[in-house]
Amino acid sequence: MTGTNPEHDIIHLADEYVLGLMEPMEAAAFEVRLERDAELRAAVEASRDRFLPLDATAEPLDVPEELWQRIDAGISAARPTPEIATAPSPAASNDNIKSGWRWTAMASLAATVLLAVTLGWSLLTRPDPVVIAVLLDAKGEAQAIVEDFGNEQATVKLLADFTVPEGKTLQVWTLPSQDMGPVSLGLLENSRSAALKGPALPKPQGEQLYEITLETAGGSPTGRPTGPILVKGFAKAPR
Amino acid sequence: MSGTGALSVRYPFERNVREENRLQVMQDQSEDLSAALAACAKGDRKALRHIYDSEAGRLVAVAQRILRRRDLAEEAVQEGFIRIWTKAHQFEPGRGSARGWIYAVIRNHALNMLRDGKREDLVTSDKLEELQDREQIDQIMASWQRLESGSRLHECLGALEETRRRTILMAYVGGYTHGEIAGRLRLPLGTAKSWIKRGLSALRECMR
Repeated sequence: MTGTNPEHDIIHLADEYVLGLMEPMEAAAFEVRLERDAELRAAVEASRDRFLPLDATAEPLDVPEELWQRIDAGISAARPTPEIATAPSPAASNDNIKSGWRWTAMASLAATVLLAVTLGWSLLTRPDPVVIAVLLDAKGEAQAIVEDFGNEQATVKLLADFTVPEGKTLQVWTLPSQDMGPVSLGLLENSRSAALKGPALPKPQGEQLYEITLETAGGSPTGRPTGPILVKGFAKAPR
Repeated sequence: MSGTGALSVRYPFERNVREENRLQVMQDQSEDLSAALAACAKGDRKALRHIYDSEAGRLVAVAQRILRRRDLAEEAVQEGFIRIWTKAHQFEPGRGSARGWIYAVIRNHALNMLRDGKREDLVTSDKLEELQDREQIDQIMASWQRLESGSRLHECLGALEETRRRTILMAYVGGYTHGEIAGRLRLPLGTAKSWIKRGLSALRECMR
């Protein structure tokens, strides 16, 4: 087998992702990588198209009109999208494309500025964390910061209000390595910022994934994340 | 009036299209879907409706094979379409197919719902579960037989040893995890993982 061939590994990872065989946290880490790695994206696209004919074998079902109405209502509630012009000009459509990019760029910029501010602040006031991760939500907005001190201590600062239903709790996770899988750093009681005392783990690395999921009160019963991922981000080491 | 003339022609969905024509029809539609995604990125709701008219029935069926429940499948399609709308600008034509992109959005949403434990809710007794499981797995295996005969995927899946073919179909069509596949086939987890890995590798080799 060519298990050591990196190209082969990428292609296999792409297949595992497309087949839904990754654990949710692995898949989340993979998706972040995917955004930056064109080679990986190409492998995923090829894999999707390889398996797509299987979806074509599904016999279409009759869908109720109200399904469309729910989608239509959902769109109106979603992030404002440019209204369609009655006669869209090429210039107008270009603008729309640019604004999409601009929005993404702004979000990244905001995250970077926030990271820089946090770095400056934490360097001045306390022992250095080994790594810092800014956790973003699905829209790319910074929602929390994790500072991992690498001595079983980590602090989590929430930058937004999290709505947590009755009987649920926020749980903080990291992925020290693919082999170890996701490890819990602790729970955020009352959905507040907290200093956590986690298990002994290998020294945190740059690019290590951190995330917060919604779990049943008392923490995930399986010891692995089971609930939806609310926010996630990759760590960077302060320089 | 929409500026994109192609979209004002609604694609009549051909329910009973003959097996051998199906893939060709789908390829033609993919170009059309690519244009529709571009229009969605510009805020054209009619383009999203066009994708819905042409694909929603099949997407609900695909999601239902994963989630098993009709209501959850519709929920996956509902949320998935909102995602298609907000993410349409990320689709890059000329790379993967538009169809593959659209299906991946819905599939990922259905898989996430599944992993969040929604499917577990429907299990009321072991016996019922077993029964539904068997039906589900029969349906999954049938998806391979329904592939166009002579197509590469059909031939290459056919060339795999039966259990390997089964593991790949259980994962892709039914949304089963490594652990669930190992459990259903009564294999140790490590063995199941390596069978799947070798099966996928042989499949890629064959389809190259």
